[in-house]
Amino acid sequence: MRRGLYQFISALLLCILILGIAGQGAGNSSATVLKIGTPNVVKSASILGDSNMGVFAHLSNPTLMKMAADGKVVGLTAKSYEVSEDGKVWKFIINDDLYWSDGQKLTPDDVQFTFSYLAENYPAAGWMKKTVDNISVEDGAVVFKLNKPYSRLNLEFATYPILARHIWEKVEKPTEYTNEGECVGFGPFYIAKTDLGAGVIYFQKNPYWKGASPQFDSLEIHTFSNMDVLSLALEKGDVDAYYKYAGTYPYASMQKLKDTGNFDFVEKDNIGLIFLGMNLQKEPMSDIRFRKALSSAINYSEILKLDALGYGQVPNAGFVPPSMMAFKETAKLEYNLTLAKSILEDAGYKDSTGNGIMEGKDGKDIKLTFLTRTDYQRTTELMAEYLKLLGIDSEVKNVDSSTWIKQKDAGEYDLTITRSTPWGMLMHANWGTGYFDSRRTGEGVLHVLDDPVFQKLCDDILAATSQDQLQDYAYELQDYYAENLPAIALYWNKVETPYNKAWQGWYSDPLYGIFNVDNFLSVEKKQ
Amino acid sequence: MSHTAKRWSRYIIAIVIIFSLNFIIPRAMPGDPLTNLLGEDVILTDSTVAELRREMGLDRSWSQQYLDYWRGILHLDLGYSFHLHSPVSEILFSRMKWTLLLALPSLLLGGVLGTFLGALAGWRSRRKGQKMQTALFLAIYCTPPYFLCLLALYLFSFKLALFPLKGFYTTGSAADIAHHLFLPILVMTLFSLSRNYMIMRGSVLQEKSSLYAAFARAKGLYDDEILFRHVFKNALLPIITLQAMDFGFILSGALFVEIVFSMNGMGNLIYDALLSRDYPVLQGSFLIITIMVVSANLLADLLYSRLDPRVRWQ
Repeated sequence: MRRGLYQFISALLLCILILGIAGQGAGNSSATVLKIGTPNVVKSASILGDSNMGVFAHLSNPTLMKMAADGKVVGLTAKSYEVSEDGKVWKFIINDDLYWSDGQKLTPDDVQFTFSYLAENYPAAGWMKKTVDNISVEDGAVVFKLNKPYSRLNLEFATYPILARHIWEKVEKPTEYTNEGECVGFGPFYIAKTDLGAGVIYFQKNPYWKGASPQFDSLEIHTFSNMDVLSLALEKGDVDAYYKYAGTYPYASMQKLKDTGNFDFVEKDNIGLIFLGMNLQKEPMSDIRFRKALSSAINYSEILKLDALGYGQVPNAGFVPPSMMAFKETAKLEYNLTLAKSILEDAGYKDSTGNGIMEGKDGKDIKLTFLTRTDYQRTTELMAEYLKLLGIDSEVKNVDSSTWIKQKDAGEYDLTITRSTPWGMLMHANWGTGYFDSRRTGEGVLHVLDDPVFQKLCDDILAATSQDQLQDYAYELQDYYAENLPAIALYWNKVETPYNKAWQGWYSDPLYGIFNVDNFLSVEKKQ
Repeated sequence: MSHTAKRWSRYIIAIVIIFSLNFIIPRAMPGDPLTNLLGEDVILTDSTVAELRREMGLDRSWSQQYLDYWRGILHLDLGYSFHLHSPVSEILFSRMKWTLLLALPSLLLGGVLGTFLGALAGWRSRRKGQKMQTALFLAIYCTPPYFLCLLALYLFSFKLALFPLKGFYTTGSAADIAHHLFLPILVMTLFSLSRNYMIMRGSVLQEKSSLYAAFARAKGLYDDEILFRHVFKNALLPIITLQAMDFGFILSGALFVEIVFSMNGMGNLIYDALLSRDYPVLQGSFLIITIMVVSANLLADLLYSRLDPRVRWQ
C-alpha cells in the first residue's frame, strides 16, 4: 500500500511538473516589450479612484503641464501658456496634433471638459470650485478665469490626467469608474488592459500618435506585493526596470544588482524627504527653544549612514531640499549635544532630581509620545536614543498607517517621523507648506502650524503674480523654516532607479521619476 | 427540543453573534474607510472631508449603520467598497475563485497525504525510514511559512527558472494557470501535509497501544488490516477537527503565499481591507468566513457522530 502511495505521489508531481514546464513557452513573441516592475500594487482599475493607477495612467492620459528636469513647469498637452499681469487669467494653448487612441482628435474642448468635470466630481480637485470662476475655449486655447491670483495653477495642472469628453461625460462618478479593458488615451501609449489577476497593466502604442515614435512596441507594468521577489524578478530578467512613485529602490539591495553587471541606476535628488514632525500645539514642542535643542541633538550623519546608506546629504535648517526650485542655502543642521543641552538649560529645562531626565515647565519629567509606523521604526529608535542622551524620555508607539493618521489628526502625539513625497512638497503653497498649514487636512499632512506669519506667507505665495515674487517668498519661507523649525529634515536622499543595461536612454523627472512621457519616448533597447 | 434542533439553534445564535462582532470589530479599530482613501499627498478642506464622510455614510450613528448592515445581509447585499470601487459581492466572487483554486487542492492533498503518511509513520515508528520522514516533516512544520515560500520561490523560480515569480496567470490558459499555481500549491500542500502528518502520527502512536489493537493482533490480523480497519478510524478524529478548521479558514489562510507570489486573492484582500479599514470588504469577507467555519464545524460534528459512537450516544 505504501509503495502504491509513493507511486501515486511521484506520478502526480511528475504530471504537474510537465504541465508546468510546458506552460513556460507560452507567450513568446518577437515584439519589443519594456517591462517595469513596481511595488505600487494597483487594487482597482480606476484611473481617478486608485492613486497608483492614476500615476500609471499619466502615460495614456498625459497632464496639461509637466515638470522639466530643472523643476520648471512647462507644457505637455499644452503647447504653451500665458498668464495675465494680475495672475487671474491663465491661457493654455493646446497642441493640435494630439489624437485619442480611438482616432478622434483631442480638442481644447476635451481639456475644458476635463477641468470642469474634475472640479465638480473629483474631491482632490475640489479647490477649483472656489478658485476658478470660468473655463472657456478661445481660439485653440483653454482660458481659466480665476476669482483671485493663483500662482501655482500651472503646477496643479501637472497632476490631473486629461480625459476624453466623449468617454467620460457618460461617467457620473469618476472615482468609482473602473475599466479593466481598453482605456482611450492620447499619449504615445494607451492602456490596452489592466489584468489584476496577473498583476499587469498592458500598454500598447497609440496608433494615432503624431509625435516622436517610441522605440519599443509595448509596455507592461508588473506589480509585486513583495519587494524581495521584485528584486529577484529584476535579477532574473523578468522585468527590465524598477519604478516606485515617490520612492527609491532599497539602498541595501543595490549592490546585489550591481554585482550582476547587468544594471545601471538613474540617480536623482529627491525633492521629498524624511523629517521629524512635531505637534506644535502641545508643550514642549510649541517652544522654539526646545525644538532648536532637538535639532542640535540629532546625529544627522549617523541617520544618513544607517537609514539611507549614505545615499544623500545632511539637510539644512531650511527644510527644502536643493533639488527644489528656488532653493535657498540656509544653515546646515549639525549634531552638537553640548549645544543642545545648553539651549535647553537656557530655556529653563533642567534635571533638578538628577535622574537623567529633564523636567518641563510644570516640574514633571518630560516624556514625549513618539508616534511612528513600521517604515520608520529604525529611525525612530535612533531618535529615541538621541532624545535620551539629551535627557528627554520618550514612549514609542508603533502603529499601522490608519492608526497613525487617526492619532496624528487627533493630536495624540508629540513627535513623529514621516516623509514628504515630491508632489507633497509642491502641494498647497509649494515648498512643503501643505504638510504644516493648519487650514488644510489630509492623510499624510500634519496641519499643526497656525502661526499667522506662516499662513500669510502661504497666501502670498498663492497670490504671487510673477516668478521674481515667487522666488522672494520662497526664500522668505525657507528662512522661516530655518528660524522656527516647524519640522526638522533628517536627511535629503537620492532616488535610485535600477534598469537593465540592455535598455538605454532613461530620463527621470522630479515629480514622477521615470514614469513620464519623455522617458518612454527616449528609452530604447540596445542593438 | 430535540438534539438536532438544539444543535441548529446553537449554530444560528453563534452566527448572529459573530455577524454582530463582524460589524463591531472593524469599527473598534482606530480610523475609518476615509483615512486611507485618497493617498498620502492629497490635501483637503474640512468641508470636503465632511462631504466625503456623508457620501460614505460614515456620519451616521453606529445604530443606523448596524441596522443597514443587517438589512443588507438579509437582502444578500454586502455593500460597496469605496477603496476597490465595486460592490463587495463582486469583489469577493472574483477573489474567492482564485483562492479556492489555490487553497482547495492544497487542503485536500495535504489532508489525504498527511493522514496516510502520518498513519504509516505512527504505526511503523521505529523504522529508520519513518524516522527520517518524520524529521523532514517536522522541519517543514517548524519553518515559518513566509520563509518556506521565499525559499521555494528562490530555488524553483529564480535559480532553476521552472516557474514564474508571480501572479495567478499570464495568458490565462489552463496550462498557464497550472504553471503559475504549481509552486504555491506545492508549498501550501507541504504545510498542510506536515501538520496533518504530525497529528496523525501522534494519534496513531496513542491508538496502537490500546487494548483493541493488541486484541486484533492477538486474533492474527495483518498489520495493515489492524491499522486501516481499526486504528485509522479512531485516530482520525483530531484530523477531522483540524480539517474542519482549515476548511473554515481556507479563504484567509493563504495570505503569506499570496503576498510572496503577488497573488490578488482573498488573503491579500482581507489584509488590505484591514489596513485601509475598508468596512464593507471586511464585513463581507468575515461573513463568508463565518459561514464556512460554522458549516465546517457542523460537518465535523456530523462526521464525529458517525465515526465515534460515544458522541452519537451523548
